[in-house]
Amino acid sequence: MARKPRPRLIAELARRVRALREQRDRPRDSQRYALDYGSLTRPLSGRRLPARAGADVRRESRLLQLLARLPAFGLGRLVTRKSWLWQHDEPCYWRLTRVRPDPAAQNLDHGKAWGVLTFKGRTEGEAREIEQVMYHDWRLVPKHEEAAFTAPAPAPADAPPPVPYPPLLRAMILAERQKNGDPSVEEPLLSLARARAEPWDYPARLEPRAPRRAADG
Amino acid sequence: MAAPMVRHGFLQARRMAIPLHFSPAGKRFLLSAAYSDSHKWEAREKEHCHLADLASLMDKTYERKFPVSSLTISRFVDNISSREEIDHAEYYLYKFRHSPNCWYLKDWTVHTWIRQCLKYGAQDKALYTLVNKVQYGIFPDNFTFNLLIDSFIKKENYKDALSVVFEIMMQEAFEVPSTQLLSLYVLYHCLSKKTDFSWEEERNFGASLLLPGLKQENSVGLSSQLYGYALLGKVELQRGLRDVYHNMPLLWKPGYLDRALRVMEKVAASPEDLKLCGEALDVLERVLRTLTSTADQASETQSQEGEDNQGSVNLVEQLDLEEPEESKLPQYLERFKASRSQLQALGRIEAESLLTLTTQLVKAKLPACEVEDLATYEQKLQQWHLERVQLIQREQEQREKAKQKYQAWMAAKTAA
Repeated sequence: MARKPRPRLIAELARRVRALREQRDRPRDSQRYALDYGSLTRPLSGRRLPARAGADVRRESRLLQLLARLPAFGLGRLVTRKSWLWQHDEPCYWRLTRVRPDPAAQNLDHGKAWGVLTFKGRTEGEAREIEQVMYHDWRLVPKHEEAAFTAPAPAPADAPPPVPYPPLLRAMILAERQKNGDPSVEEPLLSLARARAEPWDYPARLEPRAPRRAADG
Repeated sequence: MAAPMVRHGFLQARRMAIPLHFSPAGKRFLLSAAYSDSHKWEAREKEHCHLADLASLMDKTYERKFPVSSLTISRFVDNISSREEIDHAEYYLYKFRHSPNCWYLKDWTVHTWIRQCLKYGAQDKALYTLVNKVQYGIFPDNFTFNLLIDSFIKKENYKDALSVVFEIMMQEAFEVPSTQLLSLYVLYHCLSKKTDFSWEEERNFGASLLLPGLKQENSVGLSSQLYGYALLGKVELQRGLRDVYHNMPLLWKPGYLDRALRVMEKVAASPEDLKLCGEALDVLERVLRTLTSTADQASETQSQEGEDNQGSVNLVEQLDLEEPEESKLPQYLERFKASRSQLQALGRIEAESLLTLTTQLVKAKLPACEVEDLATYEQKLQQWHLERVQLIQREQEQREKAKQKYQAWMAAKTAA
């Protein structure tokens, strides 16, 4: 092997300057998510939205479009998505805790928001970034309707009672019990409750979870 | 009562000597003079800064793309002393709203801005910034809204007062009873003058009648709810549900006429002596009849032509299980007739017009609400003062730190 390559300082400097300029001139949210409503294309990337999104894009609004008209950008208000309203009966909403609008937008209708999610009646513990803020899908819950909206839907029927095992499995379980010296006499029962899987439209987590350790200072 | 010269903005009619609610020429004053008195606001501690300095500071900060602090803009608005400076302040408010710090615009800045506009006779400017609140970030609180409505009522400018009420409705700021009463008064005044409106005006009227009506527990409130639901139901059936709730603080569930009828049935069934105004019932009847007749005409033409484009767009919103609202119109008409006869039998219909009822209510309840409002306003002034002091202190501390850092850096540079 030859000796170590000579350190190329100017190239390193150029790399850093390019990175800085890229960071400074990065396209803001308002440019990235601008939309030409006639042809349903994004001017920045030239990509087209799916054809079925046209109806929604023309009827509904983006989240920050709703929040720009509210005092303090609607902190503490409830927002829902039309797709959740059509899909689920139970209340699904975000309660806003923090909003950061993009100052480059003319009508302040792009940006980011954080909030506490309640999906199908179950509330999460802490606030996180709201996903798909730029989708034309959002609706604001009026204040006088908040109580009625968040009232839990009628509880579904409880899981059916547990059922005895088929005869062969039952015999195998009893034989195993005898082998392990387990003196229990009760009938082995199979529970019919479903494993609760998250629905396909559960909002994904955008930021990585903060590491749980006692930070000093 | 010798009114101070400060109030030359909205007392040009020179009727300031009379503390009553009626003056000889019939000009009506709803809020008492103590409410719109700006002594306490004038007496607040404010920093005296030169506007030109602040303006140049802000321009430099924006050029260098640093954030402008909310203290700077609040100092600017505090020190306005003429009409031209109001225009300058409007420009800087616009720039602040489009800066990264836009969320931090303080309540007292907005209050001061509206007060200054009223003081220097720029009510139209105040209204313009309020209507374009997205661009200027002006979201006043209840006290400021009351002052603004009052100034327009005093000038008999009900059109502008109506725009202010619509803005309050958009912000859903009908928490305080005084705002509710004032807005209802303005709404009924405008409704009594003119009866045919475009669908957007009807929708705005409907929502603005509904929201305060829900908060008031008396016959005026219930009649307002009924009136609001009737207007919204009319827009729903003529233009579709989406035009009702889009960009409005209203729910997207169909059936506004159904809710109107439920209000009537609730009043008929309630044991207390709640009454509904006959005027509101007449409006609902008119709406139902117009819609039934247009529905009949539309079904005739449809059976001839057989094209249903508009209907399919509306049906997208409704679930497949529910029937469209048009088919329920005959049922609504029957329910309405039944409820109305029931109410008449129980004697729960008020014969007086809504405007007279509202004026009576306003005269009865407004003084008490005003006293509460004034107390909360004084508390708020003190809170704002404390916050401002805290912010100034923090700014000074940061300046000290920056100076020390700079000095340390200079010392290191000269040493090296």
